[in-house]
This record gives sequence, structure tokens and C-alpha cells, in this order.
Amino acid sequence: MPLTSALTLPLQTAWLIPLYGLAGMLVSLPWAFGWFRRDAHKPPAYLNILLTLIAVVHGSLVLRDVMLTGPALIQVPWLSVADLDLEISFSLSLTNVSALELITGLSLLSQIYSLGYMDKEWALARFFALLGFFEGAMSGVVLSDSLFQSYFLLEMLTLSTYLLVGFWYAQPLVVTAARDAFLTKRVGDVLLLMSVVAVTAWSGVTSFEDLYTWSAQKTLLPLSATLLGLGLIAGPTGKCAQFPMHLWLDEAMEGPNPASILRNSVVVTCGAIVLLKVMPLLQNAPVTLVVLQVIGVISAIGGSLVSIAQVDIKRTLSYSTTAYLGLVFIAISLQVPVLALLLLYAHAVSKALLSMSVGGVIASTNCQDITELGGLASRMPATTGSFLIGGAGLVGLLPLGGFLCLAQAVELIGARGVIFVPVFLATNVLTALNLTRVFRQVFLGQSLAKTRRAAEVNWLMALPMVALSVIVLLTPLLLIRLESLDGLLAFPWWAAALVVISGMVGLLVGALIPLNKAWSRSLNPLLRWCQDLFENDFYTERFYRVTIVNVVASFARLAGWFDRNVVDGILHGLARFSLQSAEGLKLSISGQTQSYVLTVIAAIVILLSSLSWILN
Amino acid sequence: MLTILLLIPFLGALVISVLPSDESGRNRSLALLTLAVQCVVSFALLIPFQASETGQQLVDSVPWLPVVGLDFSLGVDGLSLPLVLMNAVLCLVAALASRSVENRSRLYFSLILVISGAVNGAFLAQNLLLFFIFYELELIPLWLLIAIWGGANRAYASTKFLIITAVSGVLILGAFLGIALVTGTADFGVSPILAGQMSLVTQLVLMGALLIGFGIKIPLFPFHTWLPDAHTEASTPVSVLLAGVLLKLGTYGLLRFCLGLFPEAWSYAAPWLAGWAAISVLYGSLAAIAQTDMKRMVAYSSVGHMGYVLLAAAAATPMAIMGALFQMVSHGLISAVLFLAVGVVYERTGTRDLNVLRGLLNPQRGLPLTGTLMIIGVMASAGIPGMAGFISEFLIFKGSFEPFPLATLLSMIGSGLTAVYFLLLVNRAFFGRLATASGGTPNPSILSKVSFGQQIPGLSMSVLILILGLAPHLLVGLSQAATTQLSELAALVPSGGLA
Repeated sequence: MPLTSALTLPLQTAWLIPLYGLAGMLVSLPWAFGWFRRDAHKPPAYLNILLTLIAVVHGSLVLRDVMLTGPALIQVPWLSVADLDLEISFSLSLTNVSALELITGLSLLSQIYSLGYMDKEWALARFFALLGFFEGAMSGVVLSDSLFQSYFLLEMLTLSTYLLVGFWYAQPLVVTAARDAFLTKRVGDVLLLMSVVAVTAWSGVTSFEDLYTWSAQKTLLPLSATLLGLGLIAGPTGKCAQFPMHLWLDEAMEGPNPASILRNSVVVTCGAIVLLKVMPLLQNAPVTLVVLQVIGVISAIGGSLVSIAQVDIKRTLSYSTTAYLGLVFIAISLQVPVLALLLLYAHAVSKALLSMSVGGVIASTNCQDITELGGLASRMPATTGSFLIGGAGLVGLLPLGGFLCLAQAVELIGARGVIFVPVFLATNVLTALNLTRVFRQVFLGQSLAKTRRAAEVNWLMALPMVALSVIVLLTPLLLIRLESLDGLLAFPWWAAALVVISGMVGLLVGALIPLNKAWSRSLNPLLRWCQDLFENDFYTERFYRVTIVNVVASFARLAGWFDRNVVDGILHGLARFSLQSAEGLKLSISGQTQSYVLTVIAAIVILLSSLSWILN
Repeated sequence: MLTILLLIPFLGALVISVLPSDESGRNRSLALLTLAVQCVVSFALLIPFQASETGQQLVDSVPWLPVVGLDFSLGVDGLSLPLVLMNAVLCLVAALASRSVENRSRLYFSLILVISGAVNGAFLAQNLLLFFIFYELELIPLWLLIAIWGGANRAYASTKFLIITAVSGVLILGAFLGIALVTGTADFGVSPILAGQMSLVTQLVLMGALLIGFGIKIPLFPFHTWLPDAHTEASTPVSVLLAGVLLKLGTYGLLRFCLGLFPEAWSYAAPWLAGWAAISVLYGSLAAIAQTDMKRMVAYSSVGHMGYVLLAAAAATPMAIMGALFQMVSHGLISAVLFLAVGVVYERTGTRDLNVLRGLLNPQRGLPLTGTLMIIGVMASAGIPGMAGFISEFLIFKGSFEPFPLATLLSMIGSGLTAVYFLLLVNRAFFGRLATASGGTPNPSILSKVSFGQQIPGLSMSVLILILGLAPHLLVGLSQAATTQLSELAALVPSGGLA
């Protein structure tokens, strides 16, 4: 698609939007390195917020123009090697730009939130630098129009996640969390890189449009197509914290909360958008689609089950992110991109709001264990309200984003694969149950020792919460305004009824199950076994430790041993042999010149004859 | 013109070595001045250099000893120019980083200058014997640098280095003499036509000797064990030179002489070489995971990362060769950053043991800037986009995938393993709490601040890594004509091997 000359100024300069975030990182660096001694605190934060605000405004101008004039494409040549031309290309489609707005908007809110949350943090400049980098990479990913560029930016996202999770690097849990976040995503990324390399080698092109054409025309061997497809979905699977690469998101909760807001809402969205973009390449690989569905189902049900057994307030949310993205995976694999986008938007804003609310609880109580929390509703009205609205936006019960998406899903998914409808409904039940349970534990009941003196969060945190609450309440209107998402309300009444009933069931069960602060584990052995199973995430981590980690470590030890004993052993043996033979030969010295001459001549003859024999 | 690049460092070495007193600061300044001039002159080559032309440019040729076929013939092309520039930059960096040389500084800085000149000579030489002379010339200075200014176990490491790399030299000389013996001419000009007159077996024997010779230098598994020992005992600037410049003599030789002189034998052996490369990559990466000494870990990572170059050379597609050259340059810069950072850590804490070091990012008593540089180096090495390492890895993998898919995929696993061991390094040494021994005595003892000047080499290398990662065309444009020409040599060979 050639660049049309009649682009409006916002469209022509849309490539700047990812750069705003990166520029935010660059301007923060002098403060991050401590080159400014005076008040090395707030200026980089303000600069970053300003730049993100510019990005939001610029993005909304682009969105307006795209709605008026249709999609556009910006391409700049970047590198040309041999037969490969790599371009920096941004596709300004409605989907991409609205995702961009979601990212920059949530980034803006969470940056303001960070000002309040991280008020006393000594390394605020570093934090904002990383947030800027994070935002820039995400904006680039969603706008990207080439597989190569998507990979490029996804990896930068991996790096910035690592640095953000590892922000409080002195804490032991953070160290492992950052490591696992990086390595898990890296596994997905390396598999994705294998596919990127293979597909660019086979097709010679990198832009998605060209790749779609290529994939439609060329039929690969089924095995190649399947392997290629599996590699392509591995990257998004890691980014979206889907089974079997889901552990990192939960551990990443050790990082600062404002980054968790973004991770749980928009980072996973980025992964899903990339998956949407590679979907047309998977058409020749039906196995891949089945794998996607299996991943989606396991993540949705498994994630929901695991989330209801968590007592850490942040972890109750992170597993539900895995679950909702599982639903998105199912929607994508069943070729309902519209539904996937709806789910992504509704989930992102609601989950961001929930994360903010949870962050508020942590900020004012310094406690994450829900069995030690209680009775916060009267003390923290804004935080409580945010949790309620966020939950309502996520669960399919009230006529908000979650309900609309799930009702659509029941109809659209039902038409393509009825067996997946129960998965959606079950996820809804379990999410409603989980959120109700957490709400009761944290906000209702009596004040406990740790919550007695809790006060409402400061205005810098409350402001984004309130703003986002309004956005969540307005989500249906926003979704309808998106032209491509027409027919939002076109679902039958029975679908709506199913969703409402499932939400109701979850709510009721969550409201009625006995919650005991004193012993959170059940006395019933079977129930306790289930609880332990869910609480430990089906022992996935332990499984990885004894399998993959163990295998790599054993091979590494083997290589180390081999190096010391075999390779160096042979070398030392040779050295000893030559020394000893020299010692031996020393004794054979006769002093007779003739024998020396004879030896030398014989050696020369043998050498030359063997050389000429080899060379001729 | 090119002769100046040899004269400057050699004259500098001569001047420093005949100075009457052994005053460290003055010697260092002199060496820095010489290397800065060399750097300027090297970069000035970019002005007359025609990037679009293939073949040697700016040729200086004087008959030297016609009887044995030795010409003093220098030339530069897209393959050697980036390496000459890197040599200039890294030698300057090494001299900048040599702040604590107190004893025999005259000898030390002269040796660095001799190495710089010899490496220039080897990259520029257009005569096999001349190349060999420069290739060997750099050996003794490096041996002395390790043996005199090295760590506790320097005697073992330097001797091992000397003996093993001397074997490499013997093999290379043998192969060069073999070429003369077989063709019956005493012309040691670099020309692939010579090999056309030989049988494939002869070619394979001669190329095999070169391959092992250069394989020792690169180093490839199983000829690599000298490298971790040498690095561990060498001082930081010497490690920078060793990893950044001297290993590249091996990979340069691989491209220029193995592939360039024997394209037919090379194509025949290529599948085996690709397999060898994959083994080298995986072995180097796995062995690196098992290390607890930071420097050994970086050294083993070199084994892995140089394996990519063999893979690319085996594939010999235009993109792969370009990737190989890019990898040489980016590995030079990245390992410089890594060794400099490790050097600062060792200097401040007295240890490189990953079981002891903790929490060095600590802003008050730790080494935050060093940690930042280390993270940049580590991420570049692991192939994170935006940095030079990613470009080279992508070009190599993409260029090698079609001829050798399996070896390429295995090498990519090696790239994943790089992230594993380097993340272990960063997480253990820099994350966590600053280590404190029982009884409350801090271990390592309270760290003094690292002066900004000491970080300039690492910072500038990091900036170069980022520049090359974001604007790779700077290097690609310079070398593409030459790398394409080299790959065409291999492509001209009729497929089918033993015909």
C-alpha cells in the first residue's frame, strides 16, 4: 500500500507517537543517573506525563482522522541487506489506533497514579524512564505493520518488563520475579524469532500484507506450516501470560504497582494484538488453531480456579488476567477478531481500574494478604468504589463492557463451537465469585489490626481512579462509537440471560461461601487438596523446576565438567606426554654426530614424502 | 596511505620503549596520543574509500623478498575496513582503561601499540606470508601482557595461550607453504584462482589446516580452553583486546582465507561446518551457564558467539556473510563493555565470584553505573533489538536458515541460552542486597565511587552498540559490496561437491 499524499498532518506525523514515550525515557536519564543534585525527583515525572499527554492528544487526532478518511500506512526504509528490505512501517487502522489510544490513555493515568503511589521512591526518575520506554515499545507494537518490527518491539517490551519488575532489585523475590519474567518471555520470543526468520527466509517479505498474500498463494508442507504456526503463537502466548508460560505475570506482581496496572491491562493486549495480526498466517496450520484453543481453555478455566485460591490481593487479579486472555485466545482462534478486540478493551480498562484500587489498598495498609485486611469500605470510599466499578466492568452481570462482550461471545462463539460457551460462562462464574470473595474479605467486615488506621489514598492516586471509573462506566458507549465494532447489541436475549445468570451464580456463591480470617485452608481433606492445588497453580512452577530448569542445569554442569576433565584433560595429557618423552629422549643422547644427522634426514624424508603423498 | 597505519603504532611503540624513565602517566598519555592519531587516520580512510566497489582499494605494494614471494602489499576492502576501525577504537579504549599500570609501563604500552600495529597489518595484508608475519607478531606481545600483568595463575594461562596459538600459527604457515608447494609458484598473493588448479582432496587438506589454525584462534570447540584461562588471568584492557580484536583475526582468516581461497572445498565441507558451529554455540553457552567466575562466563560466551560466525561463513549467503562481519564488530564492542564492567567490579570488590557478589546496583555503596553498563552489554549480547547484537544475529540466522535450517535453529537456542547465563550474572551480582558477611563486616568492603572518567570507555562503547543497533546501515553500507563478492565466490562453485 503506497503512502497516499493527501494525509493530514496528524497522520503524517503518527510515527512520532511511539517516540514520545522513548523521548520520555531519554529526558529522564540525566535525573536517573543522578546528574542533577537538586530535587532529583519530580521533573522527569512531569516531563514524562507531559509527553504521554501529547501522545494521547496526537493519538486522538489520528483516531479522528482515521475515522474520517480511513486507514493509512506510513513506511520508512530502514535497512536493506542482500535481498531483504526492512522498513519501519506503521499501519494506522482503526483497530491499531484505538489500541494505541488505550495504551497511551492508560499509561497517562497510571503515570499520574505513580506520582502518588511512588511519592517517596528515591529512584522515581528511573521508574519514569522505564515507564516511558515501556509505553513507547507498546505503542510501536500495536501500530506495527511488519512481523519483523513487531518482533523487534516485543523484545524491547520484554526488556522493559524485566527492568520494571526488577525495579526494586534489592528484594529477593523481585530478583527471581524479574528473572522469570524475562526468561519466560524470552522462550516465547526465541520461538517467535525462529518463525520470523523462517517466514522471512521463505517469503522474502516482512510486512503483514505481503505475508498474507504469500501465505494465501503458497502452500507449505503441513509440518513446516504447523511448526511455523506454533512458533508464531509462542511469542503472544508468553506475552499474554497464557498456559504454559503464565507464571511470570503472577511473580511480576512483586514489581511496583503502577507498572502492574499496565502489565495486567495493556501489555497482555499488545500480545493479543500481535496474535491477531499473525492469525491469517495460521490458516494452513489447523493444528495451531487447536493448540490455541487448548491454551485458551486451560488458561481460562485454570487461571480462574487458581485465582480463587489466592490470598495475595495482587495475585487474585493476575491469574484472572490469564483467564480473560484465555477467552481472547479462544475468540481469536475461532476467527472472531471483533469479539477478541471487544474483550481486550473491556478487560483492559476494568482490570486497570481493579489494579489501581488494589494498589490503593496496598499503599494505605502496606499489606497484601487479604486475610489480614477487612472493613476498608468505610475508610476508603474511592478505592472501594473503583473496585466495585472495575469488577462490574469485568464480570458479565451489569450492562457494562464485560456483559456486552460475554453476551456477544455466547452468540458468536456458540455459532462456531458450542463447547466453548461453557468455558466463557464458567470463567464468568469464577471471576464473579473471586471478585466478590476478595471484596468481602478486603472491604467488608470488621476493621482489623492492619486496616484500623487506613485512610483514603491521596488525590494523585484518586484522580486517575475516578477518571478510569468514569471510563469503565462509559465503556459501552465507547465500544459503540468504534465503527468497526458495529452491531454491539446484536445478541439474542437468551445469550444475555445466560451471561447474567452465570454472573449471578458467581456473585451469590461468592457472597455466601464462608470466609474465615483465622484459617484460610479448609478442614475437609479433599477440599484442602483442591485448595492447595489451586493455590500452588497446579504445581506448575515445581514441575518446571524439576523438568526444564533441571535439564538445562544438568547439561550446563555436564558441559562444565567435560570442559575441565575431557577437553583440558586431553590437552594436559598431551603436554605431559611431550614433557615425559623429552625426559626419556634425553637419556638416548649418544653424542655421535652421525646419528643426529641420520635422525634429521630420516625425519625430513618422512615429512616430505607424507606431504607430497597427501597433496598429490 | 595504509602503511601509515602500521607506522604510527610501531613508531609510537619505539618512542615509548626508548624513553629514559618509566613514568606511567606520561607513557600512557603518549600511547593514548598515538592511538588517537591512529584512530583519526583509520576513520579518515572512510573519505577515499569507495563502498560500492569490490576488490582492494588504496593498495600499497612494494616487493620485499621476491625470492620467497613476500611482498609488502597492503589493501583495504569492505571486509577489512570495519575491523581496522574497530581495532583503532578498541585499542584506544584498552589504553584508556589501563589506568593502574604502575610497573614497567614503558613495556606495557609499547606492547599494546605493537599489537595494534600488528593487527592492522594482518587485516590489511594482501600477501599470505605478510599476513602470517603480522599474525604471529601479535602473539608474543599478548603473551607478555598476560604473563607479566596477569592474575595469580598467569604462568599457566599464558603458557597455554602461547603453545596453543603457536600451533595455530604452524598450521596456517603449513597451509600457506602447501599452497606454494602445490601450485609451484612462489606468489603468495591472495587469489582464489590458485585453488582452482588443485584437486578437491588437496584443497580440503590445506583448507582443513587453515580451518583448525583459525579455529584455535576464534576459538571453536574443542580448541577453546585456552581462552577462558587467558581471559581470567589477563588484566581488563588485555581482555578487551583479546576478545575484541585478536579473536577477530581468526574469524577474518576464516572468511578471507578458508572461504576466500578455497571456495570449492568450503562448499563441500559447509554442512559439516554448520554442524560444528551449532555444537560450538550450544557447548559454549551451556558451559557458560556452569561458570561462577564472571570473566570465565563472558569468555565462554565468546565461544558461543563466535560459533555464529562459523555458521554464517558455512552458509556463505550474502546476508550471512554480512551478518558474520556485523557479528565480529558487535561482538568486539559488546565484549569490550562486558569486560570493562567486570574489570570495574573486580577492581572494587576484589572478586569476580558470582557466589559472593550481591546487590552491586546499590546506589550508595554499589556500582550503579557499572551495573547499568553491564545490563546494556548483557542485553546486547543476548540479542535484544535496538542494539548491535540483534542485527548481527538476525542477519546470520536469516542468511543461514535456508541452507542449514537445523543448525540455525540450534544456534538460535544458543541465543536463548545467552539470556539465561547473562541474566544469572546480572541477577546474582547486581540485584539483591549488597553482600554482608556474618558479624556485620561488609563484604565486599565499602566501595569507593568509580570516577566518571573510568566509565567513559564503557559508556562510549555502549553508545556505539546502540548506534549500530538502530542505524545498522552505517556498517552494512560500508561492507555490503565486499561481503556479497565473497559469497559469490562460494555460489560460483557448482553444487555437488566431489566432482
